[in-house]
Amino acid sequence: MAERRVVITGLGVVSPAGVGAEALWQALMAGRSCTRTISLFDAGKFPCRVGGQLEEGFSARKYVPRDYRKAVKVMARDIEIAVAAADLAVRDAGLVTAGTGDGEPTVPPGRLGCNIGAGLICSDLDELGSAVNSAVTDGHFDIHKWGSSGMNNLTPLWLLKYLPNMLACHVTIIHQAKGPSNTITCGDASGHLTVGEAARLIARGDADVVIAGGAESKLNPMGLLRQSLLKRLCTSRNDSPARACRPFDSSADGTVIGEGAGLLILEALEHARARGAKIYADIAGFGAACNPAGIDVLAPNNGGLDLAVSKALADAGISAKDVGAIITHGTAVPGEDRCEAAAWQTVLGDAAAKAPAAAITGAIGSLFAAAGGVELAVAAMALHTAALPPTVNFQEPADGCDLNLSAQARPVRARYVVSGAFGTGGQSAACVLKRNEP
Amino acid sequence: MTNRRVVITGMGTVNPLGHDVESTWSALLAGRSGLSRTELFDASTFPSTFSAQVKGFDLAKWLPRADRHRCAGRQCRFALAAAVQAWREAHLAGFADLDPARLGIYLGSGEGSLDFENFTSLLVDAWRGGKLDTTVWAELAFKRMDLYREVEQESNMVVAHLAAEFGVRGPAFNVLTACAASTQAIGEAAMQVRRGDVDVVLSGGAHSMIHPYGVTGFNRLTALSTRNDEIPTASRPFDMTRDGFVLGEGASILILEDYELARRRGADILAEIVGYGASADAFRITDQDPDGAGAAGAMRAALADADMKPSEIDYISAHGTATKQNDQVETRAVKSVFGERAYKVPVSSVKSMIGHLIAAAGATELITCVLAIRDQVLPPTMNLRVPDGDCDLDYVPNAARKATVDACMSNSFGFGGQNNTLIIRRYR
Repeated sequence: MAERRVVITGLGVVSPAGVGAEALWQALMAGRSCTRTISLFDAGKFPCRVGGQLEEGFSARKYVPRDYRKAVKVMARDIEIAVAAADLAVRDAGLVTAGTGDGEPTVPPGRLGCNIGAGLICSDLDELGSAVNSAVTDGHFDIHKWGSSGMNNLTPLWLLKYLPNMLACHVTIIHQAKGPSNTITCGDASGHLTVGEAARLIARGDADVVIAGGAESKLNPMGLLRQSLLKRLCTSRNDSPARACRPFDSSADGTVIGEGAGLLILEALEHARARGAKIYADIAGFGAACNPAGIDVLAPNNGGLDLAVSKALADAGISAKDVGAIITHGTAVPGEDRCEAAAWQTVLGDAAAKAPAAAITGAIGSLFAAAGGVELAVAAMALHTAALPPTVNFQEPADGCDLNLSAQARPVRARYVVSGAFGTGGQSAACVLKRNEP
Repeated sequence: MTNRRVVITGMGTVNPLGHDVESTWSALLAGRSGLSRTELFDASTFPSTFSAQVKGFDLAKWLPRADRHRCAGRQCRFALAAAVQAWREAHLAGFADLDPARLGIYLGSGEGSLDFENFTSLLVDAWRGGKLDTTVWAELAFKRMDLYREVEQESNMVVAHLAAEFGVRGPAFNVLTACAASTQAIGEAAMQVRRGDVDVVLSGGAHSMIHPYGVTGFNRLTALSTRNDEIPTASRPFDMTRDGFVLGEGASILILEDYELARRRGADILAEIVGYGASADAFRITDQDPDGAGAAGAMRAALADADMKPSEIDYISAHGTATKQNDQVETRAVKSVFGERAYKVPVSSVKSMIGHLIAAAGATELITCVLAIRDQVLPPTMNLRVPDGDCDLDYVPNAARKATVDACMSNSFGFGGQNNTLIIRRYR
């Protein structure tokens, strides 16, 4: 049985550059950094006070059908971001769903799938703290009081705000997606893994259209604490936040936490053609790998990215010389950038230093489970517009980072763009996108 | 491209009834209860004071040199022990031709346990004027919180530990689709073997939510049984008096393998995975679709994938949580898929004995299906005394039963409307 071809027909991005893929693309092409001093909470006593924070006042309300707005109050920030991005993606693809309204659904509900990468969602500390502080005796938490009365100060649906599959669940409910629904929780590799798996789902015929990618916000005290303990954050540029995250740059000293979502509409090629959809790119190849050394979370490693990329190239049936551009993961943690560059060099050889490459983290920070979806959206736009954005804050290559990065936007006439990601814990994944040729 | 056959060649489990496959299986066939008063923390004033805990577990029994796992959290330690058992049964340790790049991991493991004491005391100590003062919090948190306790909460860390232990370099996934996670993981892992992306996968799940906020979350949802006076018999799937599920914990790992490879290396084939189906209810985050359409959709998709008719299924391992809603909806869904045959195919829920292992539930239940085929016996649904008119199938009540079992269906449904079904068959 021949596998079906899969294409990208819609992009939904929420990022520190604003709402929409276009807002991100414009910021990237203009070389504008969107990282700034964190204002979601007082981060004054944290060693890193810079974040890729969404614009003030972001809420999912506008992206949720009127009769479902009540549900927004049981959505953690990660969920709100995902719900907004899904709405944008579905509309960008020109799909009619129960969520967009306006007629019969384009895709039968059972043929519409969903696969959204998610992270560990932090509970709202003010909400939980308020309940916890109702169960205190002599200045200490009193578990007897908690069990008998304190816990009742939490809303009955409290747990459901924080289950990682709730990103996909709200999206499936809003858009009436009744096909397979999955939630991949593999750190930074999640976005590429979801897109790869969603493409397989369509290829084997289990769905015609899938909403795929990831969403996450670690911009809360727990997220900031954990990344600080991992020593991954930039602590030297709190006074110049726009310049803090410097992928592959010789003066890089850590990443900054960003938040957002990147959701793609993946669709069977014949389905997209039959409805005359705009096609951004083909999903030509996918590969995944891991590195057993990932267990040592303080030692930088690339999660076996070289193997993931080489599998993705083989899956696409291309070789290193066919790679027209690279969207890197570029966390701006110096050891990680070196490991990443080494992976591209291992698998692409000389082509690694030749193919134009870009990292988007300088502009928006590290988006964790959301990173891959956003990176792939950027890869799709690069193919679609034949242009590659500059790498914000990249001035001089760090030792061992011999990639063709640029501080300027460049035209690229690429047929294939490769994008890969890896994260804490040692998992990696890569996708090859191909220019759609009628 | 032809689809490859996918077989199971190893299994391991750590759960409230046993720390290996055989002791678990004898306990299940004897109808024993793994439920007891919660000892992992003081739950004496909680609405539910009991749970299904793993007791007396020691990782060193399986991994004498577990230095690199010293920071592993509770669910991760269960998963390591289960994986070692499965790896040994599959005789992969001595198999030199296994390409690490074609060895994968696909788990449905949960979030790791919170550092409850420090996390909670910080909420108290940094509380100022009715809200959290994040500057005070930060100063205290950097003194008290431990890197590894924090990192181990990320649900991909079980994958990281397994990769380290078994030298895995191939695709590594973790999915967390609530109570359906490990069934989904095994289904998707089987698809990868079938397609040829990997030759061998460590697949299954791990979870422990028996901590104060886990129990709080489920108690607030009123999803847990509160039968504090009748603990051993509190989990009552399909019984009229059922009042919720009992929170359990544990891990189960299976080795999925390309059939040709398994045959070539002379591995014992325990069963074949022939069907996988997934669907979403897209109904409500709190409730299942009352028609059971989503659940039925997953079962139908699995049957279609296996190219089997309902009449070929000999046993259904139910999701059977013992919540009012699940058991009714699942019964309805089975009827809609199986028609008249629904009354003839035995359906049972081992959650009556081991409780609900959440993300690890599906993998554990799939192991019982493999054993049912091996031993031609069905595990019972215990504590089923009072019939419920809405639950009128053959649930194998209160005693294990000899039966002819060639093909089994295993169902898992998760909060938010996640539905996943697997079908396995005797290897022939």
